[in-house]
Amino acid sequence: MPQATLSAARLLAGLSPMPSEPELRRILFDTKAELADWTGDAVRVEVTADRLDLLSEGGLRSLLDGVVGAARGLPPLAVAPSDPTLAIDVDPSVAPLRPAIGGVVVEAPAGAPLDAGLLEEAVRYQELLHATIGRGRRVVSLGLYPIAKTRPPFRYTLEPLADLRFTPLGGDIPVDGTAFYRDHPFAQAYGAFGRSGDRALVLRDAAGNVLSLPPVLNARPAGEATVGDERLLLEATGLAPARVADALGLLLLVFAARGWRLRPVAVRGTAGTDDGRALLAPRTVPLHEATIRSIVGVALDASEVERLLGRARLAAGPAPGGWAVHAPPWRPDLLGEVDVIEDLVVARGFRPDEGILPPTFTRGRRRPESEFRDRVSGLLLGLGLTPIATPVLVARDGIAGLGRDRAIAVANPVSELYSHVRDTLLVPLVAALAHNVRYGYPQRFSEVGPVVVPDATADSGGSTRYHAGIMIAHERAGFADAAAFVEYLLGALGTIGVREPARLPGTIPGRAARVRLTGETVAELGEIDPAILAANSVPVPAVWAELDLAALWPLLAPSGTA
Amino acid sequence: MPDAEGPDAPPDGAGLSEPERRLLAFLQAATAAQDETAIAAATGLADDTTRGGLQRLRSKRLARVEETSTERRRLTTRGRSAVDQGLPERRFLTLLRSRGGSIPAADLVAGPFDEEERAAAIGGLRRRGLLAEGAPFRLTPAAADADAPWPEETALLAVRDGAADAGPPAVVAGLVRRGLVAVDRVVDRRWSVAPDGADLPLTGLDRPLIGALTPAVLASGAWRDGAFRPYDVRAEVPYVTGARPHPYLAWLRQFEEVLVGLGFEEGAGPLLETAFWNADVLFMPQDHPARSIHDAFSLIGTSGHPPDPALLARVAAVHEGRPVDGATPLSRGWGGTYDPVLAARPVLRSQTTAVSARFLAAHPTPPFRMYAVDRNFRREAVDATHHLEFAQCEGIVGQEGITLRHLIGIFRSLAEGIGIRDVRFRPTYFPFTEPSVEGHVKHPRLGWIEVLPGGIFRPEVLRPLGIDVPVAAWGIGVMRLAMVALGVNDIRDLYLDDLARLTGGRL
Repeated sequence: MPQATLSAARLLAGLSPMPSEPELRRILFDTKAELADWTGDAVRVEVTADRLDLLSEGGLRSLLDGVVGAARGLPPLAVAPSDPTLAIDVDPSVAPLRPAIGGVVVEAPAGAPLDAGLLEEAVRYQELLHATIGRGRRVVSLGLYPIAKTRPPFRYTLEPLADLRFTPLGGDIPVDGTAFYRDHPFAQAYGAFGRSGDRALVLRDAAGNVLSLPPVLNARPAGEATVGDERLLLEATGLAPARVADALGLLLLVFAARGWRLRPVAVRGTAGTDDGRALLAPRTVPLHEATIRSIVGVALDASEVERLLGRARLAAGPAPGGWAVHAPPWRPDLLGEVDVIEDLVVARGFRPDEGILPPTFTRGRRRPESEFRDRVSGLLLGLGLTPIATPVLVARDGIAGLGRDRAIAVANPVSELYSHVRDTLLVPLVAALAHNVRYGYPQRFSEVGPVVVPDATADSGGSTRYHAGIMIAHERAGFADAAAFVEYLLGALGTIGVREPARLPGTIPGRAARVRLTGETVAELGEIDPAILAANSVPVPAVWAELDLAALWPLLAPSGTA
Repeated sequence: MPDAEGPDAPPDGAGLSEPERRLLAFLQAATAAQDETAIAAATGLADDTTRGGLQRLRSKRLARVEETSTERRRLTTRGRSAVDQGLPERRFLTLLRSRGGSIPAADLVAGPFDEEERAAAIGGLRRRGLLAEGAPFRLTPAAADADAPWPEETALLAVRDGAADAGPPAVVAGLVRRGLVAVDRVVDRRWSVAPDGADLPLTGLDRPLIGALTPAVLASGAWRDGAFRPYDVRAEVPYVTGARPHPYLAWLRQFEEVLVGLGFEEGAGPLLETAFWNADVLFMPQDHPARSIHDAFSLIGTSGHPPDPALLARVAAVHEGRPVDGATPLSRGWGGTYDPVLAARPVLRSQTTAVSARFLAAHPTPPFRMYAVDRNFRREAVDATHHLEFAQCEGIVGQEGITLRHLIGIFRSLAEGIGIRDVRFRPTYFPFTEPSVEGHVKHPRLGWIEVLPGGIFRPEVLRPLGIDVPVAAWGIGVMRLAMVALGVNDIRDLYLDDLARLTGGRL
């Protein structure tokens, strides 16, 4: 879950009544946030992935105000008129790299310019958004710029690296674009998102000052917000307008919650001009009384609905059949009507005593294939084979040790122990032999479980099949043991297979076989290669058999069930 | 089962082996205690069989024994030699007399005495004052009157003859020290019947006793005429183990029964899925933090196929916030452009909700209830409470009028089905359900644990699949429930292949 550490002093200042730690924990339990820790001034909060707004002090405070009754309805949003000088011009060359761009100017209340706490929170939250909604800046990246150190309007272009010269944020001396992209760690991490060949994305002001090289790094001094600034440009570039709007809507929350005024920024491109006002307008979602009842299952009167929405810090106005619900720009999670209804449900609280069972009865049943597997499992148990259960993901060594190369490899494993998808139960059965060398002999065990085999005809390129595997190990274990078990199982299932010699990886040549039924391979078996036994310190011979239940079931299923 | 005789029923003759019965019968008839030799002769049993049988009767308190311990002296090999050839000192005296009363030391060394005899000969004559000090060896005048038998010679003859009194104890002790006489301790055992054995009925003495019931005994019919030797039922027996159901798999099976009992039919889906079925059709955005909840495993060397084009188009529409099938948009969607190439990418299934999606795509007729208990895979580090391969119990209920209240009711029923009554709920987030809820159950030992996540499927999920009734859905972390039910503290122990634990101990 996304998490952040907030300042308790800034989060709770002036809140009445002030919650104790247990009270705050209980309050948050009933929301999509959770108090992970509270030590001194540091309050660590975790939230669900859709409520990133609650990881800002302003966003969480807005929620708390609603819960304790300190405030209701839409948080105040001071929006100033457009200023024709505040605009971002976008060169057509930018679109292939960052097709979506947006901006907003935030202006401090009189006498309360940017302080250290707010600056720290803004930078922290900016990075949080980069890591989450921005997907490491690839999807969206954000920037803050002090208007006072720039000369609007601003302009995005794609410029040759060799022509660039600027002082990176955090540095003291100017560097050229080529050296920056070659050497700076941020350029190495994010440079690919803002570079096309030998040209890079650049944001400049009307005086030609470099504000930043999005999405990599800002420049000094035009891209360096400092304590005392009174007007800031919040800017975002990204792959989709919706993401840019979501990110800007969340970032401006940090300032809106502190009473800063918002001013739209026009974005002028080849497709026309976006005046930027939509970014700052409350989002409106229709809400119907009938939909509430159909989802919640409880009839709520209009005043109750409006009270609950107010508590959720939303505003509701009358509309045909229900309401038009208004949400602040930092609630991108409210995609549609059902999302608003969830807010209403959360504000009302989940009530276990309202639970009821569905009114209509249906006939429950397991799949015939599952019953078939259980039947085989029962037969194996009756044969005295101890059932084991093992993961489908197996170790590369286990696959390689058996000389098998068909298993599908995981492209992004978290451990070498789970690097391949098993295509046979021989892998875990041999592993179990190795795990149990101190148990003593005889050993007889089995596993009925899934394997995945490559299959070009399947949707995903692989088929899931259930197999039943047997391993028998003792001083006189031999091929006949495995063959006898297979014959018994097939006989108990009402059929007879034909055994024919086969060369099977992991077995002794000449002591392995396939069993066919109406031309289909339904089982494989053989004596385990002594090299495998030696490699696993197994001191006795072992034999293996594996039935392909997915192949057997269609052949044996009663008519109409396969 | 009632015990006819009780645990301490008195033994009878049937509890004895055949030799024991013969011996006891002899002792019962004897008027006086008998030694083992006499008993063996009378019963016709070998000496070893007699001694072993009598001892077993004694351990069963059916016979008793009186033991008398006596000492018996006997000549050793050297002692017999001394009787036959004379004591070394007597033979030395004779040699000196034959040499005129004197002999050089070198001649003695070369003479007929071994080293031990030589020392005994010299010491014996000197103790009697018959040999002078110094070299050569010379007899003293007293040697002229030394022909009478010495006490040691008399004692040796008495021992040879078995005389009860072999002479002065000091003399005999000297012969023992010199290794000429040995002393044996002899225990004389005399057996008689003990009170418990006096009246013990002995039957079937004429019937052969049968030990193991062999095929030969069965085939011959010998068992009809024989008596079965009873076993010591308290004796140690070999350790055996048996195959029995895997505890985790058995628990999953029981859990399924709860769902079947509630009217759910089982669904199934592949472990290897396309991103379309694993996420896209469930309205999980292709590029959004919500997707990172299900950080899936991708695969090498496989390629998937896109789904039905019409379905793909409808799913793309809801992702992009466009109308589906000509209606108004269901929501503003995720924005951006839906990428059908990403949709065909194979992944290891990260949630059993994909099974629900496939089930719904088959257009089931409402009302329907489906469950699936199966494995999923997420890129998580493995530790005591997390496994990258985990099981979920997916469930959906679809029919007109299904609401959040029904979902909560079902959760409560499921909790009660596994014996838990205290349930509480809190909001949570899933991209495919809204509202989404997380049920916590109160375990008597572990406290509140989170096990029941679910919600109402979003219209963006249902409408593209052609479902026009509300559907409640959930995906329960059954491994955590299994850990609680089975008392397992480490999730890795549910994947168990340890034969010692699977076959031993209490289930």
